[in-house]
Parts: sequence; structure tokens; C-alpha cells
Amino acid sequence: MSVGIEHYVLLSMGLFCIGLFGILTRRNALMFLMSVELMLNAANINLIAFALYHGDLTGQVFALFVMALAAAEVAVGLGIILVLYRNFRDVDVTVPTTMRW
Amino acid sequence: MEGVFSYAPAIAAFPLVAFVIALAFGKYMPKKGAFAGIFATLGSLVLSVLMLVAVASGEVYHETLYEWAIGETPSGIGGIEFTFGILIDPLSALMLVIVSLIAFLVHVFSLGYMNAEGETGLPRYYAGLGLFTFSMLAFVFADNLLMAFMFFELVGLCSFLLIGFWFRTRSAPSAAKKAFLVTRFGDYFFLIGVVAIAATFGTLQFAGDGSFVAAAEAAMDGTGEAWTPAGIGIESWVTVTGLLVLGGVIGKSAQFPLHTWLPDAMEGPTTVSALIHAATMVAAGVYLVARMFGYYALSPTALAIIAFVGGFTALFAATMGVVKDDIKQVLAYSTISQYGYMMLGLGVGGYVAGVFHLMNHAFFKALLFLGAGSVIVIMHHEQDMWKMGGLKDKAPVTYYTFLAGALALAGIIPFSGFWSKDEILFDAMIVGLEEPVILAAYVMGLLAVFFTGFYTFRMVFLTFHGEPRSETAEDPHPVGWSIKAPLIVLGVLALVAGIANLAPVAKLTGLDITFLQGWLDGEYGAVEGLTYGAYSDLLAYETGVIGSEQLTVLLAAGLSLLLAFSGAGLAWKLYNVPEPVAHKERLGSVRETIEANYYQDEYQVWLAEGLTLPFARAADRFDQTVIDGLVDGVSTGSRSAGSRMRRLQTGIVTNYAALLVAGFIALLVVLGFLGGWFL
Repeated sequence: MSVGIEHYVLLSMGLFCIGLFGILTRRNALMFLMSVELMLNAANINLIAFALYHGDLTGQVFALFVMALAAAEVAVGLGIILVLYRNFRDVDVTVPTTMRW
Repeated sequence: MEGVFSYAPAIAAFPLVAFVIALAFGKYMPKKGAFAGIFATLGSLVLSVLMLVAVASGEVYHETLYEWAIGETPSGIGGIEFTFGILIDPLSALMLVIVSLIAFLVHVFSLGYMNAEGETGLPRYYAGLGLFTFSMLAFVFADNLLMAFMFFELVGLCSFLLIGFWFRTRSAPSAAKKAFLVTRFGDYFFLIGVVAIAATFGTLQFAGDGSFVAAAEAAMDGTGEAWTPAGIGIESWVTVTGLLVLGGVIGKSAQFPLHTWLPDAMEGPTTVSALIHAATMVAAGVYLVARMFGYYALSPTALAIIAFVGGFTALFAATMGVVKDDIKQVLAYSTISQYGYMMLGLGVGGYVAGVFHLMNHAFFKALLFLGAGSVIVIMHHEQDMWKMGGLKDKAPVTYYTFLAGALALAGIIPFSGFWSKDEILFDAMIVGLEEPVILAAYVMGLLAVFFTGFYTFRMVFLTFHGEPRSETAEDPHPVGWSIKAPLIVLGVLALVAGIANLAPVAKLTGLDITFLQGWLDGEYGAVEGLTYGAYSDLLAYETGVIGSEQLTVLLAAGLSLLLAFSGAGLAWKLYNVPEPVAHKERLGSVRETIEANYYQDEYQVWLAEGLTLPFARAADRFDQTVIDGLVDGVSTGSRSAGSRMRRLQTGIVTNYAALLVAGFIALLVVLGFLGGWFL
């Protein structure tokens, strides 16, 4: 039994929206990172689903790339958050606004 | 003799090396660098004489040494070349000898005039002399107009440095600036002329088939092509470009109306005046006309203007020399006047006469200035002739050499100045019989002979004759060999240099003794097209005679001699008395005008302050308000727009994310509408 492509797309869309909601509403930088991770994985689901649908491996290969990219992004992001905490004693993203101009 | 030409660059290089040595090590050397200059100019002189001998044996030298830029044309061929090169033909070889000889003698004289008088800053002085000599020598052997222009400018710079040598006085720096600015004003036209000639003919060479002179000739014959702006005829365009170049000549050779710098330039050391007037700076202008004479020969209008300006300047300057009290001022005006004669000679097509007078003048004017320098040393730096007198017996060497120079300047037979001046006036007269403009120039030149005789002998009598009129004149300062030796050399030359071209004698007796004419006509060797004969073929002048040629020759010589003698005689009557008095009060209001130099300085200052300054102010205001306002407005506008736009940047990441999403959604909606998804 196979699941229709529309179900994958719906799942991916739901996951993406959850991630987007997290970015727009949360103030904690760690939550930001997690939300971004959710959005990236929503994209991964899409890539793999369409790879299966079209019967080739290109999408899966790209999903692997995205995972590697996500890992790197988390590493850099955590570093930034660490510095943020050292400077402002907080990980609230609305606090460090002095760097704008 | 072929090999000797490979040493030609060294003629100019020697003084350049002396310049560097005097500047760098002059402080530590005996005589503060004088010997470097003396040996360098002696080396130049020896090499120049070798060049002269080589040219006399039939060789000429025309070589491009360095090519520093080549222009491209769309077709890829015929691009203009900017080069440094050397052209040694009879004219430049002669001039090289004159310049290096005078420079050598001036260096020797400086030992007595500068070193012995305990001047400070001598390394700077000798460095300046070296650079001056270098520039002039390089200018003389330049084979193209652009190179000539460069060294022409360098000569101007050196004159600035040397005239302002005593820069702690008030007057010397201002005279130096005036000399630089006035000649620079003329050189501006020269530069435009160089560009115009380059654009028209695509070449700046003086000699050979690829010269601009040949190109202009071909274009006028209709066998060659030349570009002219706005389609003016080639004849008028040659005249215009020739006159533009003439602007530089008028500035450097101190012709009316750009002569005002020269009398002020007397602020420099007298040795420098001798160098400037006899061999370098001022001679450069007339030499340039002689160098590109073929080009001027194509344009009767330009030649007539040269002749008229020359004749007018000769008379104009001579009248001003009559009332001066400073011995150097008299000589300064005589220089302007004598260069006027050279221009007159060249302007009437008397190429040989002009060059002949250039040569003779170099000798006797260097002599007179060095003589004046000697007088100034004798008089403990007093220059007012009314405080001199009676120096005849106390300084016989100075007196007799100065007298030789004065006789040459006044044009008394058989001194050198007579032969060349007479030849100029003869050439002007025979052309003037056919052309009224030239006749006017001739008459002015002829009248100037009277004034020349008068002011020359007024100077001689006031300085050397009569009773001493001050304590220093009774107890003169002795002068050494380094002052006497150059005076004697030049004194002999002033007496005998006329032998080079005894044209009137040749015409009367039929003897072949016009050596200089043969020399410049390429009898010994010359570059084709750069000979007197070739120039004469180009000239469009008609000549006339009074009676027969012999009678005309006698008439011209007799007239100029008569006037010279009457001028000298008047001076003898008025000033050769034990206690001379100033007679110029008798001139009344004329005296004031002449003493104020015909208000030439005043009107030029008025031109600068009354005309140029308001115009410059208006331009400045336009620049400050309109141009700057436009630029400032653009920057102010973008700054204020930027300060408003930056409020968008809140620094809160969430807002950026929201904007991103909102923008994406907006993009989707727009694309949706355009793509027709909602229909």
C-alpha cells in the first residue's frame, strides 16, 4: 500500500508552518534554532517524497546535503547564541538591538 | 667623422652631471661646485666644436634616441610618434658652440663675481647654472617640436630659479615670479600650437621627409593631406598654428607686449643676466623661429607679423633704454631691442641675417653684461651710473672690452654688430620697397639705430668717462683674472665675429666671403630642406632695389651708420664732459611716460586685476554655488533618505523574519494574480 504524494506535501507543509510559527512568536534563541531545524526537515520530507514519486535518487541526495548543512548551521548558531549569552546574560533575541546601525 | 656624433648627447649631459654634483656635493667642494660647472661646460664646448668640425666636413646627424609614446590610428598605420632625438645641422651646431662658449665664460666669470664676493648659497647657484645650460643645449639639438617645448619650459623654470637667487630680498622673488608667469603665458599658446601641429600633420619632426614642414608644404601643393578644424584652408591654418607657436617665442624672447619680465629679471646676479640674455632663455625664442623657419616661410602673414613685432619692439625698447640710470637696466632694454632686430630680420626672410645677429649679439651682449658685472664689482655693488664716472683709467681692461661691446651694440663699423644689423636692415629695406608693412617695420628698426647709439654711449660715458662722482668710484675694488679673461675673449670676438659674413663687402666687390651664408646654405653639409636656399624658394616676398644693388647696399649701410654715429655723437656731446648732468628733464611729460616704461606694467596689472580677477571671481562663485550646490544637493538628499529608511532596521530578528514571510506571501499573491491562479 502506498501513501499518496499529497499526504507527504500536507505533512511537510504542516511541519514548515509549525517552524515558521516558532520563529515569529518565540523570543528564545534556542527555540529559533529548533524552529529552523523543523523548517529544514519539512523541506527534506518534500525532497524525499518527490524523489520517490519520480523514481530517482536526486532528491534523496539533496536531503543528505540539507542534513549536513543543518548540522553546520546548528554548530554556528550555537556559537552565536553562546556569545550572545556572554554579552547580554540572556538568550532573548529582542534584547541585542544595538547592532542595527 | 661619423663616430663623433655618437657623443652628441654628452653635450647636454655634461652640464646635467655638473648640476647633480653641485647640488649634492657642492658644499664640500673647493669653490662650492664652480669647477664641476667649468669642466662640464668646457667639455660641452669641446664636443660642440667637434660637432661643428664634423658638420663642416659634410656630415649631419639626425637620430631618434628614445620613443616614449606612439599614438594609434584606427587604420593602424601612421600613428604619431613622440620621441626624443638629436638633430645636428649647421644651425644647431653653430648654436651649440655659442651656448656652451658663453656658459663656459659665465662659469669662469662667476669665480670672480660670486665666489670672491663671499656670496652664500653658491652650490644652489652653480646647480642652477648647470641645469640652465643643460636645458638650453638640449633645446638647441632637439629634433622635434615637442622635445623643444619641454626644454623650452625647463629653461623658463631655470630662469625662475636663478633670477630669484637672492630670495631673501623683496624684489628678486617677485621678479622671478613675473619672469616665470609672463613667459608661461606665452608658452601656453606655444603648447596649443604644438598640439595643433601634431593634430594637423601627425608629426612634430623638424627635419626630413616626415617633418611637419614638409607635410605642410605638401598639403599646400595639394599633394598631401592634412586635417584642419572646421574646414579652414590649409594656408590660414598654417598661419594660425605658426602664430600660436610664436606666442612662446614672444614670451621668451621678450618681444612686445610680453617684454615686461625682462627688465625686472635684472634682480638676478649679473652673470645670470649675461647667460639669459646672450645664450639661453631669450635666445631660445629667436632660435625656435630660425629652427622652424621653413614653416614660417610658408605663411607670408605670419612672417609679416614677426617682422612688424620685431621692428616695433626694436624701437620701443630702445626709447626706454634712453632714460635709465641703472647700468643693467640700460642693457636689459638693449637686449629687448636687439632681439627685435633679429625678429625683424627673420620676418623679412633674412634667415642668415637673423642668425648672424643672434651669434654676434650673443658675444657682445655677454661681453657687456660681464663688463657691467665687472663694473659692479669695481663699484662695490653700486649700479647707478650717476655714482660712477672716471673708471676709464682705473680699470682699463674692463673699459676697453666694454667699449668693444658698446661699439658692436651701437653698430659702428667694423665691429661685429654693424655687419649683422646692417644685413638685417638691408634685407628689410629691399623687401620694404615692395611691401608697405615691412617698410614700416624697417623704418622703426632704422630709427632704433639712433636710439641704440645714444643710450649705448650715454652708458659708456657716464660709467667710464668724466670725473668720479662718488667715493667708491675714486677708490675702485680690483678685479681678478677670472673676470678679465672672459672679458678679453669676448672683446676679441665682438671685434672680429663680423668676418663670418661680410655681406655688404661681398656685394660691392663680388668676393665670395659670406661664409655664414654658405654655412647655413649647406655648402658644407646640411639636412635637405633646412637650408637658406630651400627657405628662400618658399618665401613669397618680392624685393626691390634703389638704382642698382650696389647703390642699395651703400644706401642701407650709410643710413644706419649715419644714425648710429649721430646717436653716439649726441651722447658724446651731452655726457662726455667732466661733470655730466641729467638732460632728461628737458623731455618734459614724455620723460614720465618713458620712465614709466609706457605704462606697460600698469596696463598689464590692470588687465590682471581689472579683467581677469573679476572673471575668475565670477567663475569661482559659479563653482561654489551651482556646481558645488548640485553635488552637495545629491549627497544631502541621499543622506536624509537614508536616515529615514534606516528606521526599518529594528534590530529584532523576529521582525525581519516577519518581513521576509510577508514579502514572500506578497510575492506569491502577485504571481498568483498574474498567473491567473485565482480565476
